[in-house]
Amino acid sequence: MDARDLELRNATYRRFVELGRAPTADEAAAVVHWTAEEVRAGWQRLHQQHALVLNPATAEIRMANPFSAVPTAYRVHAAGRWWYANCAWDAVGVCAALKADGRVEASCPDCGEPLVVHVRNQQPDRTDLLFHCLVSAAHWWDDIVYT
Amino acid sequence: MNLFRSEEHVARWLGGRKPGATIALAKLSELAHAWWADRVSPDWRPHTREQNQAILDRLDLRGDFWRLP
Repeated sequence: MDARDLELRNATYRRFVELGRAPTADEAAAVVHWTAEEVRAGWQRLHQQHALVLNPATAEIRMANPFSAVPTAYRVHAAGRWWYANCAWDAVGVCAALKADGRVEASCPDCGEPLVVHVRNQQPDRTDLLFHCLVSAAHWWDDIVYT
Repeated sequence: MNLFRSEEHVARWLGGRKPGATIALAKLSELAHAWWADRVSPDWRPHTREQNQAILDRLDLRGDFWRLP
């Protein structure tokens, strides 16, 4: 990743956190002083490097891991705001990235039972719940949305 | 990558599919904090494969399942 793309990546994440949602290309362009077209091309390069994930249909941001730009089954309240995460790992990751305590809301994929986890000082308050990762590490990026 | 109430719920959800890996939520939290803590830092740099593999290894997430490409 070259210095310009690193600048775009970090500016994109900064705006995501400031806005509480994915920035548009115009919003990111205003930060890095590029054109929106240059930002879109940069995002494509970052997507290829797994630094973020674009929606293939719109070229807008789908994931800025651990954050999700679209609603998911994993909601997190942290740093005074609600966020969507891409999965359970990312839900706790939102707390980690924001260096904040948080409340994770999800449901058991098997039975639909609502699950609530408070993360305080990096510790979850539930010891009964389990995390299952279906796809092996070698294949996480084969289809990251499925993973 | 989901949270479940118990092993029984994982098995029922899998419905005959090959299981992946199941870990305790406390371990997941350790993993998430090691993996994502720098993600919005202004000084963030891409992790190398070796850095990420070291995180998994340090948490004793070993074996073929946890081997990054």
